[in-house]
Amino acid sequence: MGQFVQYLINGVISGGILALIALGIVSVFKATKVVNFAHGHLILFGAYFYFTFAVMLPEAAFMPDWVRSWEPEWLVAYRADAPSFSPKAAIASWISDVPRILLGLAGALAANALLALLIERLVMRPLLGQSTFAMILSTVGLIWVLEGSAGLIWTAEAEQVPSLGPNFPIRFELFGANLFLFSGSLFNLLIALALFAALMLVLRYTRSGVAIRATAEDQSTAYAMGINVPRVFSSAWLIASTTGAVAGAILATRTGLSPAIGLFGLSVLAVVLMGGLDSFAGVLLASMLIGVLQAMTQWKLGGEYAEIVPYVAVLIVILIRPHGFLGQEEIERI
Amino acid sequence: MLTIENLEVAYFNAIQVLKGLTLSVDDSEVVALLGANGAGKTTLLKAVSGLLPLENGAIGEGRIRFQDQLINKTPPHELARAGLLHVREGRRIFTEMSVEENLISATYALTGRDAQPDFEAVYNYFPQLKDRARQTAGLLSGGELQMLAIGRALIGQPRLILLDEPSLGLAPKIVDEIFDIIARINQEQNVSILLVEQNANAAFRIAHRGYILEGGKVVLEGSVADLRRNPDIQTFYLGLGDQEDKKSFRDVKHYKRRKRWLA
Repeated sequence: MGQFVQYLINGVISGGILALIALGIVSVFKATKVVNFAHGHLILFGAYFYFTFAVMLPEAAFMPDWVRSWEPEWLVAYRADAPSFSPKAAIASWISDVPRILLGLAGALAANALLALLIERLVMRPLLGQSTFAMILSTVGLIWVLEGSAGLIWTAEAEQVPSLGPNFPIRFELFGANLFLFSGSLFNLLIALALFAALMLVLRYTRSGVAIRATAEDQSTAYAMGINVPRVFSSAWLIASTTGAVAGAILATRTGLSPAIGLFGLSVLAVVLMGGLDSFAGVLLASMLIGVLQAMTQWKLGGEYAEIVPYVAVLIVILIRPHGFLGQEEIERI
Repeated sequence: MLTIENLEVAYFNAIQVLKGLTLSVDDSEVVALLGANGAGKTTLLKAVSGLLPLENGAIGEGRIRFQDQLINKTPPHELARAGLLHVREGRRIFTEMSVEENLISATYALTGRDAQPDFEAVYNYFPQLKDRARQTAGLLSGGELQMLAIGRALIGQPRLILLDEPSLGLAPKIVDEIFDIIARINQEQNVSILLVEQNANAAFRIAHRGYILEGGKVVLEGSVADLRRNPDIQTFYLGLGDQEDKKSFRDVKHYKRRKRWLA
C-alpha cells in the first residue's frame, strides 16, 4: 500500500507536467482549429531560453555578481548553521539562485512569446482562410525548422539548470512505508496546476474568455460581431508559448537539456487526443491518468514497458471514444 | 447610410457572382432584397460585412460606402465596431455557450465606442431569451435562435443591420412575430435594415423599398407598393398568379412563364 501511494505521487507529479504541455496544444486548437505538432519544439526552445537566461547570461562577464549568486548577509548568517542536505540549506541555496531563476523565467517567457508571435505572423496568418489542414501540415514542417535551428544556436547538452523551487527531499511515513518526494517536484506540480486553473477560470468567467470561446466555435461569425479574431489567434499562440516556456524550464530541471524534450512534447499530443482536443478538463484528466498509469507500469513491469503501456491505453480510448474523454461533438438539437 | 455602386464579386477569381450591382439603403429605412437561390443575395451581404476574403471571395470593381466611408477593404470587426452588424444566414449562434454569453460576446462590437451594453433592451424585445439566459444556446428552438441572433446585433447598437433570411425554417406564426419585432426595432432604435428574404410576403409587410436580384444584378427596384402591383412579382414572388387564367402553373407554356424582365 505504501509503495502504491509512492508511485501514485510520482504519477501525479509527471501528470502535472503533461497537463501543462497539453494546455498549450489545447488552447491553440480551441482558438484556431490547428493541431500544433510543433508545440513540443516550442517547449524545447523554452527550455533552451531558460538555460540561456538563467545560466549563460548570469555567467557573462558584464553581469553583476549578485545575479549569478545572491549572497546578502542575512542569507549567509541563515546558511551558517544549516547542515548540508537539510531543507534549510536547500532553501538557502535556492534563495541565492532566485535572481537568475527569475531572470531565466522572464527571459524564457519573453523570448518564447516573441517566437510564437513570429510563427503566428509569418506562417499561420498568411494561411488564414485556407483549409486548416494546410496550417496543421505547416506546423509539422516547423518541427524540423525549430529542431534544426535549436541545434545551430545551442550546442549544450544535459546541462544543469537551476530548479524553479527549493529542492530538498521530503520524507514521511504512510501505511508503514517510508515515502519520499522532492520539494522541487511538488513546486513544479503546483505551478502547473495553478497555470492550468488560472487559464480555465479566465476562459470560463471573463469577457476575453467568451471572445476566445466564440472564436473557437465560429471564427467568421465572431469576426463579424466585432471580435478581433486575428488578435485572438495571436493570444492563443501567446498562451501556448508562455506556458510552454514554463514547461520547458521544468523539463530542463528534471531531465537536463537535450533535443529529446521536443520529442517528449510531441508525444503529449497522444494524451491530448485521449482527453479530447478541445476540452481542458478532459485533457487534465487524461494527463493525470497517463502519468499515474506510467508510474504504475514502471513499478510493476519496469521502465521499458512504461514507455509503451500508456500509449496503448490512449489507442484503446480513442478506438472507443474518437472524440476523447470529454471532446465535444457538436450539440445537436433534438 | 449604405451605397453600393457597380459591385462585382468573384470567388476563387473564377466564379463571378455579382455583376455590377447597384443598391442603396437610406437612414432608418427597411430595404428588402429578394431573389432566387444563387442570385447573389448572401454574397452581397458578405461583401458588405467584410467576410468575403475568408471564403476566397474578392471584390473586383465597384465601391461600397457605409456612412460615406469607403469600406471595400475594411475588416469585419471594424465594421461591427462602426455599427454595421450582420445577422448571418442560419443564425450562426455559438451553441456551446449560454444565451447570456452569446450576448456578452456581442459586446465587442462596442469596443472603441463610448457606450454600455444594454442587455435589458434585448430582453425587452425578446422576453423568451430572458427566461433562458443561462441555458446552453444550442438547445433553443428555431425561433428563439433567430431572436438571439437579432439580439446579438442589437447589443452592438447598430446603425445598419444586414438580416439574412430571418424566416428560414420557421413556422408562419413565428415569422410574423419576429418580423413585427424587426419593424419595431427599425422604428424605435432608428436602425436601417437590409433584409434578404425568400418569403416576399413577410418582407413586403415591413419593408419600405425593395430590390429584385437575378443573376448577380438588380433587375427591378421600387417602393413596396409599386413592387406589389408588378404582375411578375405577383406571379413569381407573391404566389398570386395571373388573375385571368386560373390554369395550373404546370400547364403554362414555358415561354409564358419566362419572367418579363429577362425578355
